[in-house]
Amino acid sequence: MSGRFGEILQHMRVMTLKELLQFRRDVFLLIIVVYAFSADIYVAGSGIEMELKHAALTVADYDQSSASRDLIYSFREPQFKLQGMEMNADRAMDMLDSGKTMLYLEIPANFNKALLSGDPAQIQLLVDTSNSVLGSLATSYAAQIVAGYGVQRAMERLSVAGAMGGSMPMVNSAHRVWFNPNGLDRWFVPINEMLTMITMLSIMLPAAAMVREKERGTVEQLLVSPLTPLEIMLPKVFAMTMVILLGVTVTVYGVLGPIFHIPFRGNVFLFYTLTAIYVFSTAGFGLAISTVVNNLAQVGLMVIMLLSPMLMLSGTFVPPEAMPTVLGYLMLLSPLHHFIEIVMGILLKGVGLDVLWPSVLGMFLLGGAVFGFGTWRFRRQFG
Amino acid sequence: MDETPVVRIRGLVKNYKDVHAVRGIDLDIPKGSLFGLIGSDGAGKSSTMKTVAGVMSYDAGSVNVFGNLIDSESAAERIKLRLGFMPQGLGQNLYPDLSIEENINFFARLRLVKSEDLGERKEKLLRMTRLDKFRDRAMKNLSGGMKQKLGLVCTLIHEPELVILDEPTTGVDPVSRRDFWAILAELLAEKGITALVSTAYMDEASRFHSAALMHHGRILATGEIESLLRMAPGTVASVAAQPQLEALKRLRGRFEQVVALGNYLRVFVPEQTADAEHVVRDVLKGLDVTEVQTDTPELEDVYVSLLELNGEGQAVRELPSPPEGTVIHLDPNAPVIEAVNLVRDFGAFRAVDHVSFEVRPGEIFGLLGANGAGKTTVIKMLTGILRPSEGAGSVAGADMRHSGSTIKKRIGYMSQAFSLYLDLSVVENIRLYAGIYAVPQREIEPRLRWIVDLAGLEGMENALTGSLPMGLRQRLALGCALVHRPPILFLDEPTSGVDPMGRREFWDVLFRLSRQEGVGLLVTTHYMVEAEYCDRIALMHAGKVVAYDSPAGLKADVEKRFGQLLEIRCENPYRAQSVLRDHGFEDATLFGRRVQVLARDAEAVKNDVRKVLDAAKISVQSIGRLPLTMENVFVQNVLDLEHKAGLAA
Repeated sequence: MSGRFGEILQHMRVMTLKELLQFRRDVFLLIIVVYAFSADIYVAGSGIEMELKHAALTVADYDQSSASRDLIYSFREPQFKLQGMEMNADRAMDMLDSGKTMLYLEIPANFNKALLSGDPAQIQLLVDTSNSVLGSLATSYAAQIVAGYGVQRAMERLSVAGAMGGSMPMVNSAHRVWFNPNGLDRWFVPINEMLTMITMLSIMLPAAAMVREKERGTVEQLLVSPLTPLEIMLPKVFAMTMVILLGVTVTVYGVLGPIFHIPFRGNVFLFYTLTAIYVFSTAGFGLAISTVVNNLAQVGLMVIMLLSPMLMLSGTFVPPEAMPTVLGYLMLLSPLHHFIEIVMGILLKGVGLDVLWPSVLGMFLLGGAVFGFGTWRFRRQFG
Repeated sequence: MDETPVVRIRGLVKNYKDVHAVRGIDLDIPKGSLFGLIGSDGAGKSSTMKTVAGVMSYDAGSVNVFGNLIDSESAAERIKLRLGFMPQGLGQNLYPDLSIEENINFFARLRLVKSEDLGERKEKLLRMTRLDKFRDRAMKNLSGGMKQKLGLVCTLIHEPELVILDEPTTGVDPVSRRDFWAILAELLAEKGITALVSTAYMDEASRFHSAALMHHGRILATGEIESLLRMAPGTVASVAAQPQLEALKRLRGRFEQVVALGNYLRVFVPEQTADAEHVVRDVLKGLDVTEVQTDTPELEDVYVSLLELNGEGQAVRELPSPPEGTVIHLDPNAPVIEAVNLVRDFGAFRAVDHVSFEVRPGEIFGLLGANGAGKTTVIKMLTGILRPSEGAGSVAGADMRHSGSTIKKRIGYMSQAFSLYLDLSVVENIRLYAGIYAVPQREIEPRLRWIVDLAGLEGMENALTGSLPMGLRQRLALGCALVHRPPILFLDEPTSGVDPMGRREFWDVLFRLSRQEGVGLLVTTHYMVEAEYCDRIALMHAGKVVAYDSPAGLKADVEKRFGQLLEIRCENPYRAQSVLRDHGFEDATLFGRRVQVLARDAEAVKNDVRKVLDAAKISVQSIGRLPLTMENVFVQNVLDLEHKAGLAA
């Protein structure tokens, strides 16, 4: 009979509307969501830089030769910034300690002489690697620069000698960086941040909506009404999915595009569909949380507890192949891991389901399990 | 009392931003008295008590405690060791995870009680409160009554000269309340301390020596209870007349205060007793008047009269006729609720034990009992949330064992929390419930008008529900519960937190709903005064229905089994109580400055009491008969059962 179906639709409609109205009037949640999808993404994208830029370089040149000057000027902007000379070793140490300089390059007095005579020339480079990423980047750039300089000098010597000049064994690597041609962290970080926010809010918002009813005692009223547990639960998830998709739109078209110039190469419809499915299924965690906690503060704590392993295992920080084997497999169990593959694929690579299907399948299976678990907990609570 | 008062308040004003909590009050609390602040939520009781306790600053006026002006933090600190303050809320000042003994020890150390004093004091208080058997139990596992008793012990452990107790009996069952008052009276008499106690229950006023009636931050009247009662001279007449609605209408035309209590109409007649019955019968000439009974007024009558003098009298609203449209039709002769031997087990625990009763159409039925008596479980079974382990029943013509979803569509339900979404507007709330109960689209608008009219919310349709006062919220919740015009309405503790006037108006609506529209009402409450409004009552205790009758029938039963209530006015009532107890009147109970006993043979008991008290050289002023209250009914029934259970064990 269509009567029952019409009733379900009406229940869904009025309850979803109610959730949206309540969300609109909850200033606290509203601020969190607006921040999460705008300012937070912007700060993440422009603040977190994993590229070496303007690293301060201080030099002690005891050689004062054209060779030493050549080497020093090979350390160029934008990676390095020559800050000046400091011949006093103690003061140089202080500068490193206090963070006034990041690299300290010492060129001994006999540098040029050694090069000319063909003896191995020694230089010393001290690098502050307290920020391990930047430190190792600086070290490897510096090593490249020094090696390049060495090769250049060697080539000069050989070609002067005229022996076998053109037949030196050399590998010339022509690499093309794809999908993010400049290797910009500005692209990777804000997208990742958006996905983290989506995940956090998909858990938090439905849990908050449910716990609010518990806290205020209105759930009692809903239970004695003709609503089924599913009709109480699903509208919350629907409403919050709508809110999150709206937020995603703001991020994609208001922050990622105009500010960070991140392209949208793939299919918009596919992106929204898969995002909606991800949000909907992740809400299962939120529903499960709402069955065990009693107030909003506890929701917050539970979200943090759940989110940190999900992020660790998502591939945001460490790619799966770099993880210990067991953790690498565990990553396949993080819905966020699959979702990241999907979103990066659609946004940056412009690929479709034909390529993304393993990730989509993984997300479907995991999401289904999560949502099923949440639903089961929720229904059992009122059973 | 010629001594200077322990507390002297002059012109006290306290504002919270633009809310005026206390608007200039004067108050003197004499030493050694049990002083009550009586008023509903928002009357200004808590604010007054907090300023006296020195935990809150005030905006104007002066507060003197023990002769010290409390005008600064340091002044407040100086008196803090001499007073004890128990804030509002069950066990609010206690630590849930600590045991009874650990809580007491903590407060003792906090209050710098010497360890040699602590042991003895603790044992005495534990014994008095009968908590000594549970000393290792964590506070969170105690019942409401036990929590309050523990709260009292922790407040008294440093032997303060003044105790300030903010609504200590709210949410506590009548038997525990009775215990609580007995302990307090004993401590007052023995230690000579002064107590300032607030309550929202008008019927507790007789427990105090003196009281102040508060309303909206002002004191309506203050003084000894006897003198307060004399402020509204008159008679209360209880009338049984048919047709009841016509009688109500006629009496309302003549008198200010008319309340429908089940089959009776209670009229406050501001004249002398001799005339009252005559006047009432005169007004009701031509109707079938079966009974007119007269009594002395109670404090609530005084309170309401004083409000009327303030121009805040009861607004009498006619129940608007509901709009035409879809209604749920049931057999008008069949009971709307029928419960037959309902049983519900939770594991080994039997929460509901063979409960049977029926509710007829147009009847107000009360389900009474303390927390944990099984009321909620019964309601859950009747509303289709919980399946009974055994037994049968029907609600609104549907079998409760397997038609839960049908039942849910046919009943209305209003809970304690008023179940409204405070962040939605009046109209949004109504529309939401109209949608949930599948009211046809074209009928929503007329019903919305009807509910707004019924709740008296004209002009406030778009106000957020959270901004409405409690009384209006309550009526809106009622309206939302009626949106699908159900033939049965469940009301779970419907009037908690509402002032006496709001409560009277609310019950008036319920009465009209039952009599005019024939709606069957099932009301649960632990608020005994509320029970008087019911046509019939089932009294629950430990999962069983222990009494099932009309309020008058229940009172008659108690009178038959335990006797009528006598009130003894005499000097030194505390000593009188213990003398009487020593001479075989074990139920002698102290109420303020009076002692109450139950007497099967009133005349003989009067003589005996006089003899006993004369022998003890206590002069008796008067011994009079008091009408039994529902609280007496509850307490007597429960004590009797506990006594029998004790004998059996």
